[in-house]
Amino acid sequence: MTTYKVRFLPQDVTVEVPEGTLLGEAARLAGIDVQMPCGGQGRCGRCAVIVKEGNVHRRPTQRLSPDDVAIGLALACQATVVEDVVVSIPPQEKIERKIREGKRAARVELPFPYDSHDQPLRKVAVTLDLPSLHDQTDDWSRLQRELARRYAMRDVEVSLTVLRKLGRVLRDGEWTVTVVLETDAWDRPNGPPRIIDVLPGERLENLWAAAIDIGTTSNVVWLVDLLGGRVMAQAVDYNGQIARGEDVISRIIYASKGDGLQDLQRLVIETLNRLLQQAADERNIPPEEIYKVVVAGNSTMLHLFAAISPEPIRLMPFITTVNQLPTFPAREIGLRVCPEATVDCLPGIASYVGADITAGVISSGMCNMAQELILFVDIGTNGEIVLGDCSWLISCACSAGPAFEGAGVVHGMRATAGAIEEVWVNAETYEATYRVIGGEKPRGICGSGLIGLLADMFITGVMDKSGNINLNLPTKRVRQGEHGPEYVVAWADESATGEDIVITGVDVDNLMRAKAAVYAGFSVLARSVGLTINDVGQVLIGGAFGQYINVEKAIQIGMLPDRPYDRFQFLGNTSVRGAYMALLAREMRHRVTEVGQMMTYLELSADNTFFDEFNAAMFLPHTDLDQFPSMKEFLEGAG
Amino acid sequence: MTVEIPVEKWSGKVIEVALGATAEEGGTRTHAVTVGGQTTLPFLHFEGAIPYPPRIAIEISDQRPGDWSPLLLEAWGDVVKDPAAWAKAAEEAGAELILLQLSLTKDGDTPVTVADAQAVTRQVLDATGLPLIVFGPGQVDADNELLVAVAEEASGERLLLGICEEKNYRTIVAAALAHNHLVTARTAMDVNLAKQLNILISDMGLPLNRIVMDPTSAALGYGMEYGYSVMERLRIAALQGDKMTQLPMLVTVGYEAWRQKESKVGVGVPEAWGEWEERAILWETLTTTTLIESGADIVIMRHPEAVRRARVFIDRLMGK
Repeated sequence: MTTYKVRFLPQDVTVEVPEGTLLGEAARLAGIDVQMPCGGQGRCGRCAVIVKEGNVHRRPTQRLSPDDVAIGLALACQATVVEDVVVSIPPQEKIERKIREGKRAARVELPFPYDSHDQPLRKVAVTLDLPSLHDQTDDWSRLQRELARRYAMRDVEVSLTVLRKLGRVLRDGEWTVTVVLETDAWDRPNGPPRIIDVLPGERLENLWAAAIDIGTTSNVVWLVDLLGGRVMAQAVDYNGQIARGEDVISRIIYASKGDGLQDLQRLVIETLNRLLQQAADERNIPPEEIYKVVVAGNSTMLHLFAAISPEPIRLMPFITTVNQLPTFPAREIGLRVCPEATVDCLPGIASYVGADITAGVISSGMCNMAQELILFVDIGTNGEIVLGDCSWLISCACSAGPAFEGAGVVHGMRATAGAIEEVWVNAETYEATYRVIGGEKPRGICGSGLIGLLADMFITGVMDKSGNINLNLPTKRVRQGEHGPEYVVAWADESATGEDIVITGVDVDNLMRAKAAVYAGFSVLARSVGLTINDVGQVLIGGAFGQYINVEKAIQIGMLPDRPYDRFQFLGNTSVRGAYMALLAREMRHRVTEVGQMMTYLELSADNTFFDEFNAAMFLPHTDLDQFPSMKEFLEGAG
Repeated sequence: MTVEIPVEKWSGKVIEVALGATAEEGGTRTHAVTVGGQTTLPFLHFEGAIPYPPRIAIEISDQRPGDWSPLLLEAWGDVVKDPAAWAKAAEEAGAELILLQLSLTKDGDTPVTVADAQAVTRQVLDATGLPLIVFGPGQVDADNELLVAVAEEASGERLLLGICEEKNYRTIVAAALAHNHLVTARTAMDVNLAKQLNILISDMGLPLNRIVMDPTSAALGYGMEYGYSVMERLRIAALQGDKMTQLPMLVTVGYEAWRQKESKVGVGVPEAWGEWEERAILWETLTTTTLIESGADIVIMRHPEAVRRARVFIDRLMGK
């Protein structure tokens, strides 16, 4: 096979690859990380590199203009090597490593009175009879004998990993040993105890475990001491898989190509290991002293975490390989905690209603509330919705798309420093004022800013109820842009990029679709059980993004139901909290399973009313204004 | 035993819309044509009021249409070269309204100018006393430019101007507001989209009794039943009291029926299809009568024989 040399600048690394290799693949072989937010489908154009010498085979793409190609630009995910080339990688937009500056993790309160016996992990210290020529019992039998004598534990199970270190540990501890065991786990009721680890001497001061949420966007680790049940450290970071695709579909596509699945698993495990290390460092312990991990996340994330192909999730009829993963030891996936630590992934319900939602329902307290109709919404790239009063639950997932997370919007960005998080438009002058996270010059607009902007543009008449920007207004802020009408939020001289920050008609369209998908999900769910959305007593909003939504503005654009503000509660990351609760008590762990079994899943793509509801919601605030009584009053008062 | 016929008591009523202004009303039409006013589903005379029959409009063009079936051109003869003569012929053929379709270019070459559009509108107004519908060429910029000029030229005539769509309605509505005309609002076969455009237009201050909605129709065999169902749902919503659906409906049946193979093609089709002209006329007639059954208030037709047959059908359904 013919091979060619590819030299990458500015790193100055050269690799030799077979003819036809993708530039992106060559970069990876060279150890250079080229970001592919769309999952390598040639859609986003963010992986563009410059071919300095030689040529590559390009596939046609709308992302590059003839001028771009003329100066050598090529998409790393599409262009293939056909001769020796020198490729320059332009500085890429770095994924922000900090999730919203200046925000300290809030202290997590115990969700219920805690008793360490309610959960299966134990730590016991025993001192064994000294071996001698008269008592030549082997180490393992000696430990078993003592556990039986002191704690009446019989048929104790042990792994090779533990046996390999047992002899040294017993001797290092001078025959006093601390044993970490799991007894009566939810999936092995009344089963024999299983030894997870042995430590020399008496080490009863803590008992560490972790609750993890694997979000498509952010990953969260809570380090828990199971003696007292409290969260002792928290760590959060973006999921390392983002570089391979922004949303689950892009990731699934990426996973189905070559060794993409392994690559994605590696990336998420790397992220989690870093977070576990970070949390452990905060308490000055090695992460190997974490003996149990409970994981929540959407179905795709859990499949990737376990390196199970998520492919069937995006193909008709949209089913997972497994909704409830069996528990397995951490060593099987390279998670850097105690090798024998039990990894317990919470159960999902369907491809697009995962363990993050069952965990969310538990942690929302939906089931503890009075006989009231509760709407639980987890707004992220996918909007998951649960409706019920806990004698019944029904759920659906609507693909809101990543618009509110800043993708698919020209100047959209995540909620990090430099993001416009709130915008006000003056009704007379059409001038915009805004607030920026971190108080610096704006670089773009994040989800909450986009919702506020949409609401104000609509209320002030910058655009009509269909989202058409009105070019006839007496202001320079509305204008015909490169991609149609646009509104200028910040002028070039105010922005950090030196460019005007605008919202285009296309952006508005994408945002309208996102909000319409969410609201249509509400409507269809409510209608499916013969109710209307305004029968809802409480609206519980989960998801990290949910915390930053301004309810008033979200109602104005018809994204959230028009209920009094005091009916809304923000719960933050309900997924990790649900994992934490499942970690603390067997009963909670069982309840997650029950929720999973009780919940009816409504597949919207098989529901013929969804399209109607979606079209009805593609209007500001909604085609049926009667569903938004406060907006009706406001609009009729104004007219 | 007597059979009791169940009678539905609807709370809503279709809005009455009057096209064309007489001298007293500031125009030059011999009479106005009113549509709407129903308090029941189509032709259930025993149940509610149906004050006006469905109205037939005949489509004429500002120049000899290049893309029309030879059957149509033959049926109309020489008048297709002269909009004024064509309008008169259409009136004689039974039209209650005239649709004047403006073209984008003259002889497929130079653009139709504002002056051209105004002149042809004037000629047609002078030639007939029927209320007039005027459609732009269907391209945003040209529509806006020409329709504004037509609105000005025919100020006060209560023309029905079209076609407003969600992405382009402001200019046409503003022209209608300024010169006392009406507009048609076209949406793509969807109840919610229809309501949305009606809301957008009325938000600009145009009263609902100056809007006619065009929910988009399709010809027999080309999705007609989908359009039928949407129109039926719109009408039911109207009768149930949903204000933004209570507008009369217009359908461009002639255009739809005459662009299909069954009416366009005379040779090389299966023998079982039967004689070409009869087939084509039937295609337009059946599309028209079916959509009338679903609630159409104005049908825009092309062939004089189809018009004649539709007239017989309407008269019978109206109990004449």
